[in-house]
Amino acid sequence: MRTSRREFLRSASAALIGLSIKGDRPVSGSFVNDSYQMGHLLRDRASFPPATQIAKHAVVIVGGGVAGLSAAWRLCKKGFTDFVLLEMNQQAGGNSRWGENEITAYPWAAHYVPVPGPKAVYVRELFEDLGVLKNGHWEERYLCFSPQERLFLYGRWQDGIEPAIGLTATDRGQFQKLEDEIHSFRFTGKFTVPMEVGLSESTVELDRISFADWLRTKGMNSRVLNWYLNYCCRDDYGATTNNTSAWAGIQYFASREPEEKGPLTWPEGNGWIVRRLLERLGTFVQCDRMVHKISKEGKQVRILAGDNEYRAQFVIFAAPTLLAPYLIEGMAPLHEFEYSPWLTANLTLEHLPDSYGTDPTWDSVFMDSPTLGYVDATHQSLRSHIDRTVWTFYWALAEGSPSENRKFLLNKDWNYWKEAILHDLERVHPDIRKCVSRIDVMRMGHAMARPKVGAIFSSERRIIAKSSGPIFFANSDLSGFSIFEEAQYRGIHAAERVLGKLGRAA
Amino acid sequence: MGILLFITVLLIAACGLIYELIAGTLASYLLGDSVLQFSTIIGCYLFAMGIGSALSRYIHRGLAYRFVWIELLLGVVGGLSSAFLFLAFAYTQGFQLLMYAVVVVIGVLVGLEIPILMRIIRGRYHFRDVVAHVLTFDYLGALGASLLFPILLVPYLGLVRSAMLFGMINVAVAVWSTFLFANQIASVRPLRFLCVAILCGLGVGFAQAKRITIAAEDNIYADEIIFSRDTRYQHIVLTRFKDDIRLFLSSHLQFSSRDEYRYHESLIHPGLSAVPAPRRVLVLGGGDGLALREILKYPQVESVTLVDLDPEMTRLFSTNPMLTALNQKSFSSPKVHIINADAFPWVDSDTESFDFIVIDFPDPTNYSLGKLYTTAFYKAVARHLSAQGLMVVQSTSPMFARDSYWCIAETLKQSGLHTYPYHVYVPSFGEWGFVIAGNRDFQVPVSLPSGLRFLSLAGLPALFQFPPDMSPLAMPPNRLNDQVLVRTYDQDWKDISH
Repeated sequence: MRTSRREFLRSASAALIGLSIKGDRPVSGSFVNDSYQMGHLLRDRASFPPATQIAKHAVVIVGGGVAGLSAAWRLCKKGFTDFVLLEMNQQAGGNSRWGENEITAYPWAAHYVPVPGPKAVYVRELFEDLGVLKNGHWEERYLCFSPQERLFLYGRWQDGIEPAIGLTATDRGQFQKLEDEIHSFRFTGKFTVPMEVGLSESTVELDRISFADWLRTKGMNSRVLNWYLNYCCRDDYGATTNNTSAWAGIQYFASREPEEKGPLTWPEGNGWIVRRLLERLGTFVQCDRMVHKISKEGKQVRILAGDNEYRAQFVIFAAPTLLAPYLIEGMAPLHEFEYSPWLTANLTLEHLPDSYGTDPTWDSVFMDSPTLGYVDATHQSLRSHIDRTVWTFYWALAEGSPSENRKFLLNKDWNYWKEAILHDLERVHPDIRKCVSRIDVMRMGHAMARPKVGAIFSSERRIIAKSSGPIFFANSDLSGFSIFEEAQYRGIHAAERVLGKLGRAA
Repeated sequence: MGILLFITVLLIAACGLIYELIAGTLASYLLGDSVLQFSTIIGCYLFAMGIGSALSRYIHRGLAYRFVWIELLLGVVGGLSSAFLFLAFAYTQGFQLLMYAVVVVIGVLVGLEIPILMRIIRGRYHFRDVVAHVLTFDYLGALGASLLFPILLVPYLGLVRSAMLFGMINVAVAVWSTFLFANQIASVRPLRFLCVAILCGLGVGFAQAKRITIAAEDNIYADEIIFSRDTRYQHIVLTRFKDDIRLFLSSHLQFSSRDEYRYHESLIHPGLSAVPAPRRVLVLGGGDGLALREILKYPQVESVTLVDLDPEMTRLFSTNPMLTALNQKSFSSPKVHIINADAFPWVDSDTESFDFIVIDFPDPTNYSLGKLYTTAFYKAVARHLSAQGLMVVQSTSPMFARDSYWCIAETLKQSGLHTYPYHVYVPSFGEWGFVIAGNRDFQVPVSLPSGLRFLSLAGLPALFQFPPDMSPLAMPPNRLNDQVLVRTYDQDWKDISH
């Protein structure tokens, strides 16, 4: 790039009088962790090389997200070692993958786990193993530090994400009404984490209408309340209240006790849990192994991954269930599974914007934004002085059809998404471009299962979840929605069933 | 032409006197003892002028050309003298030497001015008129300067900008002289170009100096600011009024040299004297070295590790003569090891054990500092305590921030420690509180180091008594995930300031 003479003189004279031109920082970055190409190879039934080596294991786990890793953790804990886990990406972790730069580790997607209640037995067991829960007490440094969350509305920040300022009497009344409704649902014990524990046929009616419709029938039409509930559904399910089953909308609130100050979180989000699991699992986990075919042959299952062939008695299929018909020979196509496309971005900030507004918080959300705001990766740092940081920006493409949104997600270039993210942030931080030096963007076409109307009581889902082998399914989408506890539950549950079949029941 | 010439004399006389007054004032601010500073500086300066006058006889030719050069040099040296001396004070140990050197250089140059000027114009007037006019305007200029300096310059411009303004006047005289004596100078243009360049440089300095000294800051602090610096971590300000030096970190008072001994004796001795044989001590915070000074009164202490975030702080308090006089050069002790690190991660990763741990952080005014007052932090610190070890925590005021004080005490208790709260009166702070904590019981010490100015054995038990207006309150502990202390502290101070 050539600098014009005039520009040179201008900057030189500016430097001479000691004033730096206060401009925007150049922003670098790219798309990262793209994996849709591999998915499309499977979809398009591309041909793969023949196997050159064969390995035999009692169990092969397909997919190294939280479900697969939890299954492996369970097998190891039971002293069972004749297994291998195959992960198609270079890095295991699935939706709990993480990244790291010279400033901090940061999450690529899932970034917290609510403090688990007494029914989440497996999660509590895991956290005891990882030193997060000690003698009934949660380790303080893994609970989200103060101040936790804030919401930007009416040109200012408030503490917490549930709108609390500028409410009319009607708004307040409806927030109270929702709380009362939720309280009675919670009291039934039918909304639990994991969902399978409490799931009851008596709640099937709630799965037949959307959350938005349910709210309408209850007369809850407050704009602020609806914004808030829509935000919650976008945040947990990647869907608007129109596209979320009322059952799932209620589950979001009724499944959890008004918890002690949480949630549990780490700089790299749930990547911290994955790291601890990987430390324990060592060479059982093989990355860069894309499974392209699974077939039953007699009492054995053949698993082809690149030029490797594996033979196993049992397979735990922990990858997204939508892939199963493309991999498993003879499996019928699926119709009732739907997934939400997401985009996350990690922004490197050389300093906080002058417009930051409050003491640094963990999660910052903007009212009436299509995005979900950002989480500060250095918030869980023990340091008292922090200048540079990383923000993880979340955006569920919830409005409109998932397939159209997936195309849109893949068709737009990095520059488009960079500008879209900065535009969104600029509404709240006008000087954000002076602070950001890098934006890496991760696109996930099928980021998480969407609990649309009918998804929870879907017979397809429940039949696959109950599969009697030799292929067991374990992805969180078998719960109808993708959250950490469900993935972990499904993974452990599958491992238990395999151990039972092998005659090594718990 | 005549009157213009003599105005030149008036101006250069004013400039000369201003530099002298600036040096004297600056030395008085920074070192105190104004009588000594003014006497020695005026003496030095006049003596240097004599040297200059004596040297003037060795200048034979090109008088006008050399006069312009002398003005330029004076403009630069005098104009930057004040900024240079402030920086020298902050960054070197040889402030006084440099100050007298600057005074001598200026004195010599000023001493050259008048003799040379008289020789330049001697052909134009009778000798007796030359002497009479030059000296008259010389003294008039001095009168003007001596009136301007206290009434206008110091209050409105400050020392740094006053010096730069008069530096510019010297350079302006140089420019002016190239016109006045144009026929006596061979090549005028390069000289004029140089003059303009220097004038611009000083102009920029003048504009920037405003930012350095931040006029508004003078309103926050009651006393003269003698040091002000934005480090990566905080804003350090030192003020001085007579013999009282005060340190402010990000606008919060840290100590006043008049009564800091009360604070630091109370911080250290009740706890440290209760440890039977303290060998290893840890100080978290305390970059001023004043707690160190008290700790070094125990000959059995073999090593003191001081962890302070800001290297600028520890450097300032280990090099600046005025400040090392205050901490009795505690940083120079071979027993002391300085670690510039963020305290929590350091405590978390280090494994050494200590017999006494001093936690002396700024008050919990925000959530970042609040992390250093949590159960998670105290538990991490307590792992460093030896079997006989104790720790002490600066815990804000039980009078003005009573909830906060008892919140800190409760936090220590919930960290599994035995706690022993006490308080003292420090005039510049008011009632101030500390908490001794440990894995074991604590008994009020039966001996203290000699030479203490505030604490006495007889007075110690009373420190642990709290009158009803400061007595314990039931408070929740401060935790990383629920920092009640920051909100409480904020509320406590709002309650007394409104």
